[in-house]
Amino acid sequence: MTPAALTVAALSLDLGPTRLVDGIGFSVAPGEVMALVGESGCGKSVTAQAIMRLLPDAIRQTGGQVRLGEEDLTALPERAMQAIRGRRLSMIFQEPQAALDPLDTIGAQIAEALRQPLSRVRAEVRRMLEDVGISDPERRIDQHPFELSGGMCQRVMIATALIARPAVLIADEPTTALDVTIQAQILDLLRRLAIERRTAVVLITHDMGVVADIADRVCVMYAGRIAEAGPVAEIFAAPMHPYTALLLASIPRLSDVPKSPLAVIAGQVPAPGEYGPGCRFANRCPRAEPRCATTTPPLLAAGQGREIACFAPLADRRAP
Amino acid sequence: MSHTLEITDLKVHFPGRHGAPVRAVDGVSLHVAAGETLGLVGESGCGKTTVANATVGLQAPTAGSVRVQGTELAGASRSVLRDVRARAQMVFQNPVTSLNPRMTIGAAVGEPLLVRGRAAGRALRDQVAALLEEVGLRAEHAGRYPHQFSGGQRQRIVIARALALRPALLVCDEPVSALDVSVRAQILNLLVDLQARHAMSTLFVSHDLAVVRHVCDRVAVMYLGRIAEIAPRDAIFAAPRHPYTRALLAAVPEPDPAVQRAKPRLPLAGEIPSPANPPAGCRFHTRCPIVVDQCRHEVPPLRRVGDSDVACHLA
Repeated sequence: MTPAALTVAALSLDLGPTRLVDGIGFSVAPGEVMALVGESGCGKSVTAQAIMRLLPDAIRQTGGQVRLGEEDLTALPERAMQAIRGRRLSMIFQEPQAALDPLDTIGAQIAEALRQPLSRVRAEVRRMLEDVGISDPERRIDQHPFELSGGMCQRVMIATALIARPAVLIADEPTTALDVTIQAQILDLLRRLAIERRTAVVLITHDMGVVADIADRVCVMYAGRIAEAGPVAEIFAAPMHPYTALLLASIPRLSDVPKSPLAVIAGQVPAPGEYGPGCRFANRCPRAEPRCATTTPPLLAAGQGREIACFAPLADRRAP
Repeated sequence: MSHTLEITDLKVHFPGRHGAPVRAVDGVSLHVAAGETLGLVGESGCGKTTVANATVGLQAPTAGSVRVQGTELAGASRSVLRDVRARAQMVFQNPVTSLNPRMTIGAAVGEPLLVRGRAAGRALRDQVAALLEEVGLRAEHAGRYPHQFSGGQRQRIVIARALALRPALLVCDEPVSALDVSVRAQILNLLVDLQARHAMSTLFVSHDLAVVRHVCDRVAVMYLGRIAEIAPRDAIFAAPRHPYTRALLAAVPEPDPAVQRAKPRLPLAGEIPSPANPPAGCRFHTRCPIVVDQCRHEVPPLRRVGDSDVACHLA
């Protein structure tokens, strides 16, 4: 097995006395797309910020490790981290227009990721723009973000993130602000670049369709913990955690019977700080047993590269 | 019999910054029959929200006709508009900004009844209680404020308020787009349920084709201010006739990796052109995979092909 490009181990993040992310762990291999999926407030975006070491001041990492290859980023001084961001570890965001500098040409912004003036790396930047599917790159290179559409700005952000050939790309809802036809183009692009450049991609999304489209593996998060993780094909075909199963059943599909009732998850996600001592899904779970409310189910291997944190999974795949 | 909503050759133009007007809606005709749900889909900037706004009198048409139960909205007086708004109610995307944070939800839901003199006092309280229960909330919630509810519950409150006057037409503009996946299903179930119970007509605006397929009887696809295709739900999803409809359907990522990865890709080249300077001929011709010379000069009229009305020379 190839060594992981990125490893997150037992990561815990606290906001004051409230634990937002509770000891989560996963790894991503070179060329692999790993989706971190969950509803708002599940902790997927703060996890991304923690990997980049770009957490807001109020949120502290109180445990765990983030390793880039063999190197532990958690212990690095900020100066060393600055040399890593954008070069070995890059990130793209949901709102491409907001993430680009409106006063600078897109060519200059892409060159900045190489720490070079545009004049010295112009040919390289132009090739990168071509690679992300920007037509007429020689003209676009000197334009400003306002002259580009949302889809093109997202391509520019991807070009900026990838020009230094980072080992790991964190993509936080990269297509949520885009129209579906543009989303399809950007997802195809991300998958192609992951394969061609052997970039490890952490894809953060709430959209199960996006996960099904380009991810190799998926971690389903709920209320700051991983409920279930494993290969996308297996998890979608046979979800074991009741949360994953209900989430998948609640999405209208092009193949279901129109107007038939969709599965619903009773109640709502508990707010951080209102978690009980046991499984955080217990109060909404149709399969909950008494111990679910009092004891936290550990995330255990379940065969076929799967992991699950549940005392009453849907199909027990653990080896006898 | 007249339809609940009848839109004929609707045009809504906005003044452009650089001279040319933005032709947000440019000759749209559609209807919603009694008890029917029409889905209006398209990507950002296609004009679907402007059509919705014109339907409830929030946007005056530049030209054309919008009739709700036979009453013309174009050029209508304030009193006529006020009357029509009682019959056509709107649910917006974001429930958080749709509710006054300083008003109890009982007051918010009861306000349409109160200001129109339909109920007051005890009768008003009873009707508000019934409305809250109808959308899955409890009567004793009436005294609470919006911030005490989750996003999904707030959308229920907004729906209860829209139902208060028992409108003939409900216009929903992306009613579930701001909600989390698990909550989305609750609201969709509620809308389907309400349609069945009240035989209300609904104009359902959304960019999400799977959602539209789930709740609608017919579907209209818009592109750059015009209708590309209108057809019954099963026809449009089984046999889309317009190349844009086909591309849109192919682009929907299905939450099933086996299906999704086997799906043929129909990537659209380029971007949506500006509605201030739309292409001549068929507006889709700059991105169309099957474009022929005729498309660049001649505007394709909507014509009947099978069960669908399609604006394409080649359909």
